Amino acid sequence: MSQKAAKTETGFAGRQPALWAIAFAAALCAIAYCEYRGFLGGWRSLPFVAAATLLLVPLTKAANNRQAAAGALSPATRRYNRRMLIWSLGYVLCLGTAMTVRNYLDPQGALLWGIAVLPSVPMIFFVWTLARYVVEEEDEYLRYRQTSAALIGLALVLLTGTLWGFLETFGVAPHVPAWWVVPVWAIGLGLGQMIMTSAERRADRT
Amino acid sequence: MKNRLKVLRAERDWSQGDLAERLQVSRQSVNAIETGKYDPSLPLAFRIADLFGLRIEEIFLRDA
Repeated sequence: MSQKAAKTETGFAGRQPALWAIAFAAALCAIAYCEYRGFLGGWRSLPFVAAATLLLVPLTKAANNRQAAAGALSPATRRYNRRMLIWSLGYVLCLGTAMTVRNYLDPQGALLWGIAVLPSVPMIFFVWTLARYVVEEEDEYLRYRQTSAALIGLALVLLTGTLWGFLETFGVAPHVPAWWVVPVWAIGLGLGQMIMTSAERRADRT
Repeated sequence: MKNRLKVLRAERDWSQGDLAERLQVSRQSVNAIETGKYDPSLPLAFRIADLFGLRIEEIFLRDA
């Protein structure tokens, strides 16, 4: 591993990834609650969602530092983190653009189809980022770790998707839009990383 | 799979970071292999063996 890869950045934004993750989750929950109570909704939520998304910048920086401290920040991991951040910001930008156009221009026909598709476009970059990581990662254990975490994320998506689908079919749960698969997968990815870290700590103690 | 990596490393007074640098892998990888959490691929096992000047079976031990 190169010295550059092992370099850590300091400063307020470079510390405590858990703190930034909690702040990000809390901001999204607060926005969801405000939408539920009718204080926010549609395009009015966008500035708040955009502000919450900016928390991903220090979160990524802090995650880089944490991985470097744990001896797990390869050049491929650094690129993966950066690309994921770009994807997240691009997703919010595309979503905001689509919602603004829908609310102000009342589009019809092809334009409506176009803006409906727009928020899905960054997903291409997202999938490419995942694929590139597997190709670029030269450290086989880090690749194994990330792939295992991704499979745990996939398991969570399949389980919750199937369960919720049948709950909907039997009329005991409200409809949930299909784009929720990505946040659920991301939660599973984080959960997978936590499980792997926990297993490593157990192995360290034995 | 059990291995003698920790002992061999200690004999040379290398830290996990030193070994990781010599093998061109992350320190986390060295730790995972040492603790038996992860079994390395054959190419990496050969690199480890070459580094210590030993045969693979002198470093990695069969499970009883």
